[in-house]
Parts: sequence; structure tokens; C-alpha cells
Amino acid sequence: MSGNNVEENANHASNSKGISLPMTRVKLIMKSSPDVSSINQEALLLTTKATELFVQHLALSSFNNGPGKDQTLLYSDLANTVEEKETFQFLTDILPKKILVRDYLKLLEENPIEEADN
Amino acid sequence: MEEDRSTTDASQLTLGISGEYMSGGYVLQSQDDDGEESLNDHDDVGMKENFREQDIYLPIANVARIMKNGIPQTGKIAKDAKECVQECVSEFISFITSEPLKLYLQKFREAMKGEKGIPGVSVGEGLGEELTDDSFTNQLPAGIITADGQQQNVMVYTTSYQQIPGVQQIQFS
Repeated sequence: MSGNNVEENANHASNSKGISLPMTRVKLIMKSSPDVSSINQEALLLTTKATELFVQHLALSSFNNGPGKDQTLLYSDLANTVEEKETFQFLTDILPKKILVRDYLKLLEENPIEEADN
Repeated sequence: MEEDRSTTDASQLTLGISGEYMSGGYVLQSQDDDGEESLNDHDDVGMKENFREQDIYLPIANVARIMKNGIPQTGKIAKDAKECVQECVSEFISFITSEPLKLYLQKFREAMKGEKGIPGVSVGEGLGEELTDDSFTNQLPAGIITADGQQQNVMVYTTSYQQIPGVQQIQFS
């Protein structure tokens, strides 16, 4: 059956140098989206590979973007990259910039109207 | 239709899912799910299912390794950076799964309303009688009418991401 062949290829790809992410986990996350019923094996493979490329792209962009001290990639680098680059805009909600509480309180004092809207 | 037998990776989950899901819904049960519904009332409102943290994220070791492959050899990665990329990854997967689905549903509804040149056709009607080769002149953007008149729902995924070259089509069957 062609389906089995695809799955064999997929397993082979994950065994060899192709893929290093667990596809079962990826599939689980994909299924957590509403309205998704079943997932094509090829689509799963492609998504897994795309995810790997995404991780590399995000890591490299953030690394080049910020001068993390001593060649270290820091959380702040990631947050800055996500805010600046358009392609990463969908991550802004889960990668907020960290701010000290006292700075935040100071901001609230300066902009009380903003808080009322929230 | 498909059975999940890919057990090659060490992180095989024994969630009792095995590629199937309960009919009529998307309730996926984790191991400890039985009888623990009440404990999850205070869970994250965004997640409807009772997932443990290790279930919704990809393993951090894998993520960290891929990150290291992306940056120059001498680079190091902060621990909280690894953790948050782990979350970003899950978000990314959900995003590229749901976005084309929204597009598809939108186009599908538009097509069914007849705005795309398919007059008088609704999914519920007898498709076999209504559609002949002559009347079906416009291509249905998100579905295929096969020869026997049955509507097959096929979603064509076009990426709007510039940074992922080569991702062209994903078909969710």
C-alpha cells in the first residue's frame, strides 16, 4: 500500500540524518488544533522538517541580532528578534519582553489611561 | 485510515491514542486523565485538553540540538532561551496547522455561497444531479468534485511564510 511506503520512508528519514524531531509528538500538537481530523503522513513529515528549519532560522536570527554576552544566545535576543522581524510576529504573545516590576509600575503611573483600557 | 506505528523514537508516548481519536470530538486522553477532570479546572483556559507539559512541547534536548546546529560553533544558549524556543516551536506547529485550515474554510464557504461561480449548489443537495461537466466551469478553490459527483474536501496549503522555502503543498486528507 502506498501509505505504508510513505510511512516507511518517513521512519527512514527520521532514522537517518533527515529528521531529529519526534514525529509522533509533532502529530499530537497538530491534532490539538481545532477542526483537524486526520493528518496526511507526507504533511506530517513536511511539517516536522519545516519545524526544524524554523528552529534553526529563529536561533540564527536571534543570535545575529543581539549582542548576547560572550557569544551566548539569551532570552532577550529572542524577544527582540520576534518584535523586530515581521516573519516572527506570530510569536509576540508568547515571547514578551521581560520588564522589571518597578519599571512596569512606573509606566503605569505615567500612563494611567492605558491601564483603564485594559 | 492511517495507523500510527512509528515507534522509532525514544519518546514514544503511551497515551492510548495510537493514531485514532474518539468520534465526534477531539478529546485526547493522557495517561493520568481518568477521573482527574476536576483537577484541571484551573488549567490554562486556552487548552481544552488535559495535556501535561511534556506532551504539548517537543523534547527540549532535540530543540536545543537543532538550535546549536543553527548558530555558529562557538555559541552557547541560555537555558530560558531553550525553554522559550520550545514553546515557540509548539506555537509554530499549531500556527501552520490552523492557518491554512482557516483559509480553506473561508474559501470553502465562499464557494458554497455561490460567489465563485457555482450557482445553486450547496453541499447538502444532491450533488450528483446538480453538477454536470458543463455547469461546473469554475474550479472549486478548496474542493474537488470527483467523477461520481461526490464532494471531496481537499485543502491546498499555500504558505505565506517567506522564511520556509520549499514548503509548497500540504494536503490534509
